[in-house]
Amino acid sequence: MRSWIIFALCGLALNAGAEEELQLHQAGATTDLPTLERGAETVMTVCLGCHSLKYIRFRELEKLGIAKDKVDGWRGSNPMGTAISSQMPAEAAMASFGKAPPDLSLMAKAREGGPDYIYSYLLGYYNTPEGGLGNHYYPPTKMPDVLGVAGVTDPAQRAELEKKAREVVSFLDWAADPRAQERHTLGYYVIAYLVLLTTLLYFLKRRVWGQLDKT
Amino acid sequence: MVSRVIEWVDQRFPLTSFVKHDLTEYPTPRNLSYWWNFGFLAGFVLVLQIATGIFLAMYYKPDVNLAFDSVQHIMREVNYGWLLRYIHSTGASAFFVVIYVHMARTLYYASYHKPRELMWWTGQGLMLLIMATAFMGYLLPWGQMSYWGAQVITNLFGVTPFFGDQIVLWLRGDFSVGDATLTRFFALHYLFPFLIFALVGIHLVALHTVKSSNPSGISLADKDNIPFHPYFTLKDFFGLGVYLIVFCAFVFFSPNTFIEPPNNIPANPLMTPAHIEPEWYFLPFYAILRAIPDMLGGVVAMAVSVLIFAILPFADRTSIPGGARYRPIYRAMFFIFLADVLLLGYVGAKPPTGYFVPLGQAATLVYFATFFLLPFVSKAEERWMRARGLPADLQALFQQRPPRDKWNDKGETR
Repeated sequence: MRSWIIFALCGLALNAGAEEELQLHQAGATTDLPTLERGAETVMTVCLGCHSLKYIRFRELEKLGIAKDKVDGWRGSNPMGTAISSQMPAEAAMASFGKAPPDLSLMAKAREGGPDYIYSYLLGYYNTPEGGLGNHYYPPTKMPDVLGVAGVTDPAQRAELEKKAREVVSFLDWAADPRAQERHTLGYYVIAYLVLLTTLLYFLKRRVWGQLDKT
Repeated sequence: MVSRVIEWVDQRFPLTSFVKHDLTEYPTPRNLSYWWNFGFLAGFVLVLQIATGIFLAMYYKPDVNLAFDSVQHIMREVNYGWLLRYIHSTGASAFFVVIYVHMARTLYYASYHKPRELMWWTGQGLMLLIMATAFMGYLLPWGQMSYWGAQVITNLFGVTPFFGDQIVLWLRGDFSVGDATLTRFFALHYLFPFLIFALVGIHLVALHTVKSSNPSGISLADKDNIPFHPYFTLKDFFGLGVYLIVFCAFVFFSPNTFIEPPNNIPANPLMTPAHIEPEWYFLPFYAILRAIPDMLGGVVAMAVSVLIFAILPFADRTSIPGGARYRPIYRAMFFIFLADVLLLGYVGAKPPTGYFVPLGQAATLVYFATFFLLPFVSKAEERWMRARGLPADLQALFQQRPPRDKWNDKGETR
């Protein structure tokens, strides 16, 4: 993003994208509630097997608008105020993967490309000629192909998986910044107020300075 | 009642005379353009940073185990914490935008000339303090870029002859950036804004002694000065409104523009990010650092590139007022320098490979050449301009009042 600003400032016609090895796919992350809810379902039942979502509490899922009985099902006997943790202890994860799976709360903001990166990564698995598993977007990954995209060739099935990835990414995008909706709503009021105030100040300034010019 | 209270205060404290002298009746050149709004804006940004910073400090925890989480606590659970934090993080960038424009205006109109040398030098001191404050503040969220940025920059002090290692140790409070570093940076990040505030006071006392410069470059006659209030209070508030619209557009709709993605990963001393780069406002200086192959040379060049602005009142030897407004060669140099700084910023954001290396070195050369050529160019330019005949409006200015060198002969000319 920063290089984009510098780029615009310079107005240089240098090819900024030359070093980018892979184009990210557009995730089309949305804030639409049913999508978020299906995404939450996948994250809670699949991703949390290894990852945590520690900056989100169950209460916030309910506040987001997800049905209470669904949230209750996920939290089990945990109170509503509990931070969402992984089902796998960190030591066990270290033992199986040699690396602690990262927390997912900020994932949509912690990678260059944000949601588009996660989307491309989730769908970036392929079968290597040696019979192993590779990922185009993050080759050293230790994560298994959870969506099962590697062997899929049928376009309909592929589309189904893309939809699922889009739901997950939309949910993670919400989780990275749960106040975004509130921020945008408030922002429209603030900007509208400022535009009105500044317009009035402009006319007041012109009026006061106009009297000056006559003297 | 109110007038009696004011009278009571006035007998003990120069309240009314201060307000008249420095706010309401303060004489200001009527020909100031909107480029003169940025000093006021810088003061506003400073106050906003202090105000939001104090509230952030109520929830922030300067401890390596808690810092990252406490920022997320502010972002997610504190009432309007996200607003405070986004105003503060966007405000840091806004501060540099505003002071860089303020400086560019001073350069364009050569406002640093006599009698405003102290304005320029106190301003330079303010820039250094703001840079230090921004650098220390950037460590506080304790993300990957915070940590590695601080690691790289504190490391630079290691090139100091004889005492390098001790200075680095003293800055960090440990052998590597860690808890001691975070705590002391927090303490200093809280202190420095108040030093800045005090220095702004000195900057303003100096300003109110020499008065504002103006686009013509000469002191105006009394009839061309107007009281600050209501004319410039209104002009400043209108400018503030425009500024706030742009600022709030970023705060509410694109606040992560100024937060690098790796800084959303907690600091990890064992994992270096692929590409460490400073915030955009340091990039031109960072490019100069990297342009010199030798580390000591690079650090010295970077330090000189920041400090060299101080020589301008001496280096620009012309007696023609108004800076770039009347001087075609100075104007060309100004725009070349501006383009060069932007180019350096662009190079600073790129990895130091391929053609970016010679490009950065060439831009560094142009940067320093501007300062070293100025004494000769400014003299030659004046000779050339006088030989060619000064433009009519400039000639009129000269006849209206003696050249700037005689400014102090009879005290204030006004």
